[in-house]
Order: sequence, then C-alpha cells, then structure tokens
Amino acid sequence: MEHAVNPLQTRLGKLTLHNPVTVASGTFDLENLEFFKQELLGAFVCKTITREAKVGNPPPRLFETEAGLINSIGLQNPGLDAFIAVNLPILRSHLTVPLIVSFSGNSIAEFGEILQRLEAEEGIAGYELNVSCPNVENEGIAFGVHPETVQCLCESVAKRTNRELTVKLSPNVTDIATIAKAAENGGATSLSLINTIWGMAIDWRNGNSMIKKGIGGYSGIGIKPLALALTYKVANTVKLPIIAMGGIYSWQDALEFLWAGASMIALGSANFIDPLVVPKVHEGLHQYMIENKLSLQDVVGKCVV
Amino acid sequence: MNNTHPQRLERAVYSREELCGDYFILWIWDEALSKQIKPGQFFEIRAHASLTDAEDSRCLPKLFKPISVYDNSGGRIGFFIKKVGPGTIALSKLKAGDMLELIGPLGNGFPLITQRRILLVSGGIGYPPLWYLQKELINHNLIFWVHGGAGQGDVFPCDEVWTVDGSLGKKGLVTQSLKSLITEKKIDLVFSCGPMPMLKQTAAITSELGIEHYTSLEAYMACGIGVCHGCAVPIGSENAWDYLRVCKEGPVFKAEEVLWNML
Repeated sequence: MEHAVNPLQTRLGKLTLHNPVTVASGTFDLENLEFFKQELLGAFVCKTITREAKVGNPPPRLFETEAGLINSIGLQNPGLDAFIAVNLPILRSHLTVPLIVSFSGNSIAEFGEILQRLEAEEGIAGYELNVSCPNVENEGIAFGVHPETVQCLCESVAKRTNRELTVKLSPNVTDIATIAKAAENGGATSLSLINTIWGMAIDWRNGNSMIKKGIGGYSGIGIKPLALALTYKVANTVKLPIIAMGGIYSWQDALEFLWAGASMIALGSANFIDPLVVPKVHEGLHQYMIENKLSLQDVVGKCVV
Repeated sequence: MNNTHPQRLERAVYSREELCGDYFILWIWDEALSKQIKPGQFFEIRAHASLTDAEDSRCLPKLFKPISVYDNSGGRIGFFIKKVGPGTIALSKLKAGDMLELIGPLGNGFPLITQRRILLVSGGIGYPPLWYLQKELINHNLIFWVHGGAGQGDVFPCDEVWTVDGSLGKKGLVTQSLKSLITEKKIDLVFSCGPMPMLKQTAAITSELGIEHYTSLEAYMACGIGVCHGCAVPIGSENAWDYLRVCKEGPVFKAEEVLWNML
C-alpha cells in the first residue's frame, strides 16, 4: 500500500520540516497556540534574545499605517539567563515542532557566548542570528550592513554548532545579495529575510511623531513587493534555502514567495491581523498542491520571468 | 488573575445603541462568555471578517481594537465605543446581525473590594469600564463619580459633570475639584480611566494625599495577548522599573507604580 506523500514537506538546511509555514520572530508566542494546533507550523521561531535583559524602547511603540504596521519594540527581552532558566523549559515542554531560537549580540564574541550557552541546552533545532533589527542602535544591525562582518560572524558561529544556522537579513542595505553571499561563505545554512524596513509616521495636525523614537520598523502588507523582490534576488545569488517574510497575509501571498525561491515562509504582522492566519495559509497551500498535483519542490524558485 | 487562555470568537451584534456625539454601544449576547468577564477587562474587537475574505485591496484588513467591557449582565455584553479612527469607524457601521470578531476577555481587571469610600474619575471614553465597575461595587461601597469631557457630547450619567467648554455641568477640568472632593467625602480609594493628562493629574493628587488609586491605562496594541510588547508602559519605582504590557499585566495598575513622567 502506498503512503500518501506530504506535498508540503520542505528542507531548510539541516532540517526536514513537514510544512513550509513558520512565524516571524517577535510576532508569535505560545499564547497564539490557543487559537490553532501547533502541528500546522513547520517550525517555531521565538522572540530574539540578547545576553543582557533589554527593557526595550519608550512608548508609543506601535502605529498602524495605511498598509502595515510600524513598531519600535527595541528587542525587549528577559536576557539569556532568564531565557534559559524560565522561557526555554516552558517552550520545550509545550512544543512538539522544531524550535528555532533567535538571538542578537553586540559583538562576534557576544554572539559566540550566547551560542555556547544555548548549545548546552536540549530541545533547540536551530538558531536565527538576528543581525538586522532596525530598532536597536548597536546590536545586530551594525553587523547586518557589513558583508565582511557577517562573514566573520557566521564563520565564528558555524564551526561551533551542528544545528541549523539561519541569518536574518535587513532590507536596509545597499545590496542584500552581497550580505547573503557573505553569510553563505561564512557557513550559514539558511537565510531569513526580510526584517522590517525603516518606517515613520507623523500626525499631520501637529507634527508629532507617532512613534516615540521617530523611526521604527515597517512591516505588513505594504512591504510585500519589496520583500518578494529581495527574496527573488537573494534566491538567484545564493544556494542557501530561504525563509521569506514581509507582508504575507494569505496563502496566495505565500505561494508568490515560494515561486520566488523561498523554501519556507514566515507570518509576522499577519498574526496580529488574523489569529487564524497560520491555519488558513497552511490549508490554502495544501489544497493548492493537491489540486495541482504538485509538491513544494515543483514550486520553489520556479517563477517565470 | 491575568487571562492566559485568550479565545477568538465570532458573535453577531445583538443590538446597537446610538449615543450623543461620536459614541455608540454594540451589544452581544453570550451567557457562557459573560460569566468569564470581570470589570476592567477588555476585548480586541473588529468589524470585518477574516483576511481571506478581504480580497478587495481597497479594504485591507486592519488590526483589532482594544475595547473595554462597558456592561455585562446575564449574557448581555456591551462595548461602548468612540469613533476615533478607521477601526472604530468601521465598528460604528455595524448593525444588529452583523458579525463581530473578538479576542478575549483580556487583561487583569479592577480589584473588587468592599466597605470603602470610593471616588471614580473618568474623562471622555474613559467612562465605560467605570460603569461596569460601579455596578459591581455599588452594593458594598459608597461611591461618588466625577466625569469630564470636552463638551456636552462627551459626558454621560454620573454624580458630577465637568466640561471644558462649559456646555454642561461645571466649566473646567474634572481634576479641578478632586482634592476637595476627596477630603470632603472622606474618600479612601480612587479608580480612574481617561486621557493621560487627566490620569497624571489625578495620580499626583492621590499621591499627595496618600490615597490608594487604581488606574486603567490605554495603549496602542497589536496582538492584545502579550506577544508583541507593543503596548508597554513603565511600571515600578524610580530605581526598579520595567516596561509591562497594558494588555497582559494591565490595563489596571496601581497609580503609585506608574512612572508618569516617562509617559
């Protein structure tokens, strides 16, 4: 008797995942799993952690624009010690899908230190190196804009782990493909893109910025064409599998990113707009593959230009 | 206790009520849900249906809006809403029978106490959560309620009304009378909800007089369930504070623990 083949099975570097739908760091936590079964996720990406606890940026931290959301959270997190002592055991006990831990640091040494601590912990399938948060001055973004630094960071980290190593790239650079190539050369096993783009909103009545820090990170439906273009560009530059994100709200959006070259797609702001977006995207993709007798490999990177 | 198991629901609008100015009330009916809610809690609510139905690019789906519970008895749950932007304007167009999307109940709610002399202080759209609160407290406490608004379109039933333009009640800010009211009426507990300047002023007065004060804060929210950290406010003491979430650790905080000068 033939076994039914899973048309949504995907590969992300070292991982084989039963479906390509995941979530963007910082937009999703265990609370969201009150709304649907976690098996609908290919992997779970947690909020970025840093070595020291971060209090985050002053409020207001959010503003919803005509088409998408500006945020200025500033990587608020309890720090590595608390994450390992408190958050990680809770995540481990609740999750049955692979956990990808997102983290950021001030220096290559600090990234290395965090990695070393996490390597001693079980229940982690992979890491996302966040070198692209637009809302903190020194952490991450200082790395994400320099190809040489990204390469050095990846070299330093890659040799110390057998786990999946994805690097989250910023769109706020001159040429994302150069950075992607540097990550690949350095030993990253996948890429995650895009982080938010710079965004700002001003109250036209009085000139007040809607975000306390002025400029924040813009996400959601308004950035979809940019995210799609950068996914396509990176997919045509490197061989690494890509987790694509940026304005994906529906399964049709998700398919566009798969055609453009993504092996996985992540839902971010859409989780706020619709708590059921993960099951809807999963269901839509599944139906599409079945109806068209396709598997993911028939779609990924096969867009016609 | 904070709600750690938010539910997503779709409920038909049972009826709607027009109020003065930009205000209106949406009522839903759900007896089981009604039993889970306490004063000061809120729901994330939204007018239109799910994402996949919104294929018309002119009506891009938007965030839910955090709306506190105005009234809740025997299954009848009310949301008293002010039209302030696209989200609440969309809500204002709902008619009886239209579907409402809800996530909740959310947040901690007010402490329910007895045997106290209570002053309620509200401004504008800060009125609704205090209405539900006073209904729960009225039989066990002495309550006096002052409410202020910009004009007569922003005031609702209470014990003392203030308007900035003097069109109804006393002319001026609701906080003008607080000090004497607290002293004269021997108030020993204050609950407040309203615009930030009003809350700051009220907190300064209760701090000076050493009166216990719980305040319900409003914040821009994305998820409403504690995930995104978008609604954070500084809570603690000058030397030991943290950004806590209005949606999860709040919306009700002890006024003395809010770092008002940072807001």
